[in-house]
Amino acid sequence: MTARDKFSVIIRRAWADRLTLRSGPAPNELYASLHPDFLGSLPDICEMIVRSFHARFVTLIPVDERADRNSFRVYYVFSIAREDLFLILEAPVNPRHMELPSITAHIEAASYFEREMNDWFGITAFPNIHRLASHPDWPDEVHPMLKDFDLRTAVPRVRGTFDFRPVEGEGVFEIPVGPVHAGIIEPGHFRFSVAGEPIINLDMQLHYTHKGTEKLAEGRRPAHVVFLAERISGDSAFAHAVAYCACIERIACMEIPQRAIVIRTILLEMERLSNHIGDVGAILLDVGYAVGAATAFHLKEQLLRLNEILTGHRLLHGMARLGGVTRPIEDTVAKRDTIRSTLSDVRRTFDALIEWVLSTSSVLDRLETTGILTQKDALQLGAVGVAARASGVDRDLRRDHPHLAYPFLEHRAVVQKGGDVFARFKVRVDEVAMSIEIILQLLGQHSGEALAAPPAVLPASTCALGYVEGWRGEIVHWVMTDAAGNIGRWKITDPSFHNWRALSLAVRGNIVPDFPVINKSFNLSYSGNDR
Amino acid sequence: MDSPNGMEKQLVTAAIWIVQLVAVLALPPLVNGIIRKSKARLQNRVGPPLSQSYSDLFKLFRKEALVSATTSWIFRAAPYVVFTTTLLVATLMPMFSPYPPLGWMSDFILLVYLLGLGRFFLALSALDAGSSFGGLGSSREMTIASLVEPAMILSIFATAASAGSLNLNAIASSVSPSISSLLNPSQILAFAGLFIVTLAETGRIPVDNPATHLELTMIHEAMILEYSGRHLALIEWASQIKLLIFFSLLGNLFIPTGIAASVSLVDFVTGIAIYLVKIGGLAVVVALVESTNAKLRLFRVPDLLMVAFTLSLLSLVLRFLIR
Repeated sequence: MTARDKFSVIIRRAWADRLTLRSGPAPNELYASLHPDFLGSLPDICEMIVRSFHARFVTLIPVDERADRNSFRVYYVFSIAREDLFLILEAPVNPRHMELPSITAHIEAASYFEREMNDWFGITAFPNIHRLASHPDWPDEVHPMLKDFDLRTAVPRVRGTFDFRPVEGEGVFEIPVGPVHAGIIEPGHFRFSVAGEPIINLDMQLHYTHKGTEKLAEGRRPAHVVFLAERISGDSAFAHAVAYCACIERIACMEIPQRAIVIRTILLEMERLSNHIGDVGAILLDVGYAVGAATAFHLKEQLLRLNEILTGHRLLHGMARLGGVTRPIEDTVAKRDTIRSTLSDVRRTFDALIEWVLSTSSVLDRLETTGILTQKDALQLGAVGVAARASGVDRDLRRDHPHLAYPFLEHRAVVQKGGDVFARFKVRVDEVAMSIEIILQLLGQHSGEALAAPPAVLPASTCALGYVEGWRGEIVHWVMTDAAGNIGRWKITDPSFHNWRALSLAVRGNIVPDFPVINKSFNLSYSGNDR
Repeated sequence: MDSPNGMEKQLVTAAIWIVQLVAVLALPPLVNGIIRKSKARLQNRVGPPLSQSYSDLFKLFRKEALVSATTSWIFRAAPYVVFTTTLLVATLMPMFSPYPPLGWMSDFILLVYLLGLGRFFLALSALDAGSSFGGLGSSREMTIASLVEPAMILSIFATAASAGSLNLNAIASSVSPSISSLLNPSQILAFAGLFIVTLAETGRIPVDNPATHLELTMIHEAMILEYSGRHLALIEWASQIKLLIFFSLLGNLFIPTGIAASVSLVDFVTGIAIYLVKIGGLAVVVALVESTNAKLRLFRVPDLLMVAFTLSLLSLVLRFLIR
């Protein structure tokens, strides 16, 4: 009996009158459709799913299905890790009311998703009504993700002010920072309320880099959208591309050649390596330890050059394609030797660097106890990836929902308890060692010749999730095809979208000059968050 | 020490004064360049050429100075006040000659408060533009200044106590250039105290990071964010001169070798050469300290300054005990 069958039985027994079950093309997805008459019980059902199935809220996907079903539908995706099952609850939304009950009271992690849905679709998860994605100068009644919103529409700007949470009291000041920052980081506005140096509250306004990526994909041929997926977040180009490809492959039930699986896994770990080592350097730079930072950046450069030698692109663009990969990276002895020697160089220098950093008390003093994200907050906000694992939340899609070559590898998640900058630093350090291990292990495998499965025609109106554990955290995509088998709806969930709130909690009570290093230890993507 | 008289003495003094003036204007960018170059080499980078700081100043002087419409005269006056007070202090310092021009004016307390005047105007000007970073910078600078000053004064007092004078030239010439005076525990403690003070006063790691782009962590840099063009050039130049002032204090009060014993040309040139070596050496030491330490958490800076204060106090106590 598969996990899907088992849960079907349980759900039918509990909510036969309210939920209608169906399964998607992917074997680990179970869809449960909520009867419109029972919309009011949505929050309770969600809570029951989380509590009694030990499930975790993953993402929320609003879809404009007025053309087919004359209604909107909102998909709540839950992960049941120990059974490798995704339970997807569908709630219908009447286009005349455009309202459904908020589940935020029970599942805090859904809050930003509901607010974004309100901005982009006009579907209000009552009473969670504050703006998130639309800026104050955006008119109330314009919702760009609706199917009848033309991308070329010139939207008039209105007057409005950013409504951050005011903090009042003697000696409380506001420090506005951004949206344009020093250096070459992305735009985002931060509003600190401080009493002297300690931060009382941090509010942010993001979505300055919104590019309408999800909307741009609609109506396009699936193979063309890989190009868009590589541009969701520059530092996770390959991970996003693979997550997108996985959606299409699961919809079409493609059989991915073993060799493509191995290459994808190697490249994902390469992406993790260069980014983690770069982050270690950036954290050291932010505490003013330039010598350590220079060493780490040198290593990152070596890895990016290795990427270029193997794939022709430093950030691995153009490697992912539907059904597999575009070219081999391990086809000659020379290439395999280059990978091995570069990685052993990197490992040796990186180990020396870390040993040296760990014996420099002035660095440790800056990292330890700075920016603590408690385990409770991490769980409640649904933090993912490095930030979650550093706060003692054992969460890693590579193990929870094994994909690519991970089921064949002995994979354990790297977990630290501290929740401070040092814990996030340590998680990265340990994952670097693990990534090198994984790549070397996979490099020795002989796995056939084929690089990609033959192209397939996609069935109409079918949906599936695609996911990978990117270096920052879980990347979850969801695609629904339209009547012609093209992209009907594409939902991108970047780990940053979960973690920005965790950051604003982690900085509370810290002093202003420590914010940059706390921020860097999360290293969240603006572009991936804003899409 | 043979002392020339009358007209001859005045001529020599004038000549020395001109040499010292040229030196305190021309040398600081080079010292800054040495620190930058050494730090770059320690990071395995090629680094900018030694002349980079001159080019930077030259570039800034040629650029337009933008002034926010919300500022008052203080904002425009501050760069000149900062530059003038710093330059004045530098010309009063003992550097490489036994007859510093205006030597009778080089009273230590005066010098400390001349620097304080510059700092006061800089902090005011940072508040003047009304940007939040300026306010942050001023408040941090003043907090640190209030802790640095006692440590600085005590460490100099320790050396002044044996000279029996607060005149820096008198102190410098009273310390005998012998091994025993170099190894005097009181001297060593005072040197350590003043070295920490130097790092704090001139905005080096571990107190401040002169190379950062992160506005939220800045102290000195946050105060001057609003400045541009010749205003910025003057302030940058003044901070480089300030570094030279502290290096001169460290070099001449504690390692007094090299201050020319007579006005002969040979002694004078030797004095300059030894002075340059001392300053260069200190620049490399600062680069080493900056490279092997992370910046301190802001609230730990007082701890470090307490250490400087304690060292100076101990030095002063030892001075009387050992005598």
